[in-house]
Amino acid sequence: MEKRSLPAELDSLAELRRYVKEAAGGAGIDDARAYKLQLAVDEIATNIIFYGYKDVGASAVISIGSQIRDGALVITLEDCAQPFDPRTMRMPDAKDLAKPLEERAIGGLGIFLAIRGVDRFDYRREGDRNLSTFEVRIGHD
Amino acid sequence: MGFNISVEGGPGEATIKLSGELDAAAAPRFKEVIEKVAEAKPLRLVLLMGELEFMASAGLRVLIFARQKMGAGVSLYVIGSRGPVLSTLRMSGFHHSVHLQETYAPE
Repeated sequence: MEKRSLPAELDSLAELRRYVKEAAGGAGIDDARAYKLQLAVDEIATNIIFYGYKDVGASAVISIGSQIRDGALVITLEDCAQPFDPRTMRMPDAKDLAKPLEERAIGGLGIFLAIRGVDRFDYRREGDRNLSTFEVRIGHD
Repeated sequence: MGFNISVEGGPGEATIKLSGELDAAAAPRFKEVIEKVAEAKPLRLVLLMGELEFMASAGLRVLIFARQKMGAGVSLYVIGSRGPVLSTLRMSGFHHSVHLQETYAPE
């Protein structure tokens, strides 16, 4: 599918999810895994929009692309915000997940859901761009 | 698709129906509704989620907020969640703290 660029604002999240849904459908990925992929992309995109572009002007953009590579659907999110590797965030562990709601920490859940929802998540910085890639193997149920 | 939310109050309990997609854009509206509902100090909060097609961690955070706002004594019921949403709730450990039911059966 062709790459798309959208304003880095919360209203773009729905469009990003639609893009992922279409790409997953085209690759023949089942609904349950397609949902998890949408969720993963949504979570990382949300972080980019909330934290990445703080103090930057209205021209902030987030791009999404998809390709089939080595038997996997690969979705790539690209942004020019400040460097941020989501894998460095502290994610909840089993003990945290068992805590009652009134004792739960607010942070970390989004990244946790993102990374758990795909076969492979990768982040790298290239020049002034952040590249987040999400891989889901095709035909692997 | 968007996000829709509606509220019904009954004696001692508040029922909130969520439909559509609950992402970070929609979560503030959910949070606002929780704040209003909390004022009436219900004993039970019932969330009807049968028509919720998508829920991001922003939605989960509002559930955490609801519990922390309303106190540990308030029972939270999450009713009718669809497969992927239910899976997200379980994966995040929420089944330890809320009643996950297909149809509402107060305990």
